[in-house]
Amino acid sequence: MAEEEDYASSSDMEEEDMSGFYLSDREEDVLEETVLQGLESQCEEDCHWSVSSVITKESLLAAQKEDLRKVMELLALSEQHARTLLIYYRWDVERIFELLEQKGKERLFSEAGVTIIDKNRATDLLNSSQSVNCNICFEDVSQNAVTEMDCGHSYCNDCWTEHFIVKINDGQSRRIRCMAPKCNAVCDEAIVRTLVSARHPDIADRFDRFLLESYIEDNNKVKWCPSIPHCGNAIRVEGDICCEVECTCGIQFCFSCLSEAHSPCSCQMWELWTKKCQDESETVNWMTVNTKPCPKCHKPVEKNGGCNLVACICGQAFCWLCGGATGRDHTWSNIAGHSCGRFKEDIAKRTERARRDLYRYMHYHNRYKAHTDSLNQESNLKESIQEKISVSESKQSKIKDYSWVTNGLYRLFRSRRVLSYSYPFAFYMFGDELFKDEMTPQERDLKQNLFEDQQQQLEANVEKLSMFLEKEFQTFSDDEVMHTMSHVINLSDVVDKLCKQMYQCIENELLYPLQRATHNIAPYKSKGLERATELSVCWDSDQSLRSMKNNNEGSCARWDLTVNVNGRHSGSRFPGSSSSDESGCSSSTRKRPRRDVAGGAAPFDLNMPPEVIDNGRY
Amino acid sequence: MLDVSRVQKELADCNKDKAISGVSIDLHGGDGDLSHLAGTISGPVGTPYEGGTFRIDVRLPSGYPFEPPKMQFVTKVWHPNISSQNGAICLDILKDQWSPALTLKTALLSLQALLSAPEPDDPQDAVVAQQYLRDYPMFVATARYWTETFAKRASVGIEEKVQKLVEMGFPEALVRSTLDSVNGDENMALEKLCSG
Ligand SMILES: [Zn+2]
Ligand SMILES: [Zn+2]
Ligand SMILES: [Zn+2]
Ligand SMILES: [Zn+2]
Ligand SMILES: [Zn+2]
Ligand SMILES: [Zn+2]
Ligand SMILES: [Zn+2]
Repeated sequence: MAEEEDYASSSDMEEEDMSGFYLSDREEDVLEETVLQGLESQCEEDCHWSVSSVITKESLLAAQKEDLRKVMELLALSEQHARTLLIYYRWDVERIFELLEQKGKERLFSEAGVTIIDKNRATDLLNSSQSVNCNICFEDVSQNAVTEMDCGHSYCNDCWTEHFIVKINDGQSRRIRCMAPKCNAVCDEAIVRTLVSARHPDIADRFDRFLLESYIEDNNKVKWCPSIPHCGNAIRVEGDICCEVECTCGIQFCFSCLSEAHSPCSCQMWELWTKKCQDESETVNWMTVNTKPCPKCHKPVEKNGGCNLVACICGQAFCWLCGGATGRDHTWSNIAGHSCGRFKEDIAKRTERARRDLYRYMHYHNRYKAHTDSLNQESNLKESIQEKISVSESKQSKIKDYSWVTNGLYRLFRSRRVLSYSYPFAFYMFGDELFKDEMTPQERDLKQNLFEDQQQQLEANVEKLSMFLEKEFQTFSDDEVMHTMSHVINLSDVVDKLCKQMYQCIENELLYPLQRATHNIAPYKSKGLERATELSVCWDSDQSLRSMKNNNEGSCARWDLTVNVNGRHSGSRFPGSSSSDESGCSSSTRKRPRRDVAGGAAPFDLNMPPEVIDNGRY
Repeated sequence: MLDVSRVQKELADCNKDKAISGVSIDLHGGDGDLSHLAGTISGPVGTPYEGGTFRIDVRLPSGYPFEPPKMQFVTKVWHPNISSQNGAICLDILKDQWSPALTLKTALLSLQALLSAPEPDDPQDAVVAQQYLRDYPMFVATARYWTETFAKRASVGIEEKVQKLVEMGFPEALVRSTLDSVNGDENMALEKLCSG
């Protein structure tokens, strides 16, 4: 048992966190206090700000109405013009306001194909009742069978309809341009809908769906959930879009690349790693360097020992250097009657490098695999632990609260995940493939030592936490339970801090100094991966609209609004607005902007099992 | 689906002033198929294409004029935006910049304008484009030689050749398309016609 007490601690760990480590007093209230302390310290959040929400088929319309409304209100536009603008600028409201400042309204609109109708001209045309010649079908048609678009171009309704159908069938619903040559105006969606549905209601429906789904397809902040079969949801992230989220269907994924949540690996590292694991390219390399096909039966033959004469199991002898069949008589340096003059050292070197690469890969892969396997095994713990808790709760005992067990278990899951993905990270961070020219070998050694030190500490503590959670605490005496509990609580805390430190080390010491490449990682979430919440759109938003208008009166207030809208800090870019509270980040374009969490995400304790959260919070 | 009445009007309109515009368009074969047409462009004065007559194969998709016509040079031509191999054309109005308000005549006039003003930065034929940018005199010489060889010989005698082959008993539409496919070489056309 002595070994268990020996918690690894890092020099960065604050004193006060370590002081409460061993509980001498085992009074109930003291214990509860410690539990609370443990939970409180988990509430400290890092400085990445992002909020994710689930958009279902039902809430998709509401979700985009929010953005439409913002643009309509602030630019005094109709809904369809606002939509055209938003589709063109990829539903980036903040960017539209930025460009408004830079380009002015006119250019902003014309580039997106928004044309505001000149009402006088329209009435002029309506008054005349004579027939006109349509410039497309070359037929004379009566004035009421002609439609004029906002840009002033008019053609007969049949021609418009045909044009719309061709474009919708061609997948261009989101930007159907006017038929006039070189006219950039986007056609009025109401006209498209009316004319097309008169002839093909199904195509009109498709048009509407395309417009609706533009909010997902043409939007950097919204992505379809990657679940297979698809759950029907999309996820919207506001704030930092480099993050990991969980859909209401239960799948967890990296919002940037849509593969499984893989931090602290960057998306590129993860892509390389999965590819590598799939094709086992290292093994293949090793095979090609270390085996040669027999010239007779073509089976791969491995060389054993230093001699260049190799023999296949079929009995054929051949020269390792050139692969040519030979007789069996040879000395150390010569095969009788055979001289091919290959340069031996070159081959020896290549073999050596391939071997080294393979061993390196195997080293990282084995550890990655070991932790992934443990994670799978530990997820089976969930049920058995629930049983143990039930047994314990029914016992005659002073201890009634067993939330520390489930909390500890969730902490274990998360830290195990971090640990397993930290191996592919290290494989690329300290390997030659990605950053060979970024660091001198000395720098690399130094950083690798720093990182591995943290990794080892985390590993040791995760294993200890795992061990304590596997104990048969339901059979323990109260004293023993409390002893176990104090270890679980404190280890949970230590492991959380170590994870956080590792992410900080990766971001600040390892990835940030890179000159040639940009690698971002999703932030560490102490409370677990963020669960996207069902989008709740407040339709009674008169109040917020009023505040928008009020804001708009001030010279710079509009920019404050965009901050509210997107949760991003655009302050420093606009004169007159409050200055940025970040020092190092604002000037750097390579690093993602960070924002303090204060006032951001609701304190959502994902450390709790889902049932607790569901019941307690909603 | 093809707007037959519009195409007929276009043909009449285009050929009305073909002597002035230098572009004309006719049915490709004798079977009255309006979706397969044959256009001609006379090489613009003051360019290496001057004096040549360039034949364009024109196919109208069923969605025409709401979808762009498909055009391709039949006459071999040396030009950065036209494939020297198969006559494929790189021109925006034949792709995403097509507008139903454009016509076959305006499209052919655009091709004529393209002959006058190549756009080597957006090439169809990389070899020609490179020559155009690096060795312009050589480009002019090659383009002129191609015009002399392919755009004159073929056009000058084409009607005579057609007549001769038709008199031998081959249908006119087939004669024209066969002559097209061998760039007006009478003997090769005959060989092809005979072999089926
Ligand atoms: Zn019309
Ligand atoms: Zn227009
Ligand atoms: Zn989902
Ligand atoms: Zn990713
Ligand atoms: Zn063998
Ligand atoms: Zn030997
Ligand atoms: Zn040899």
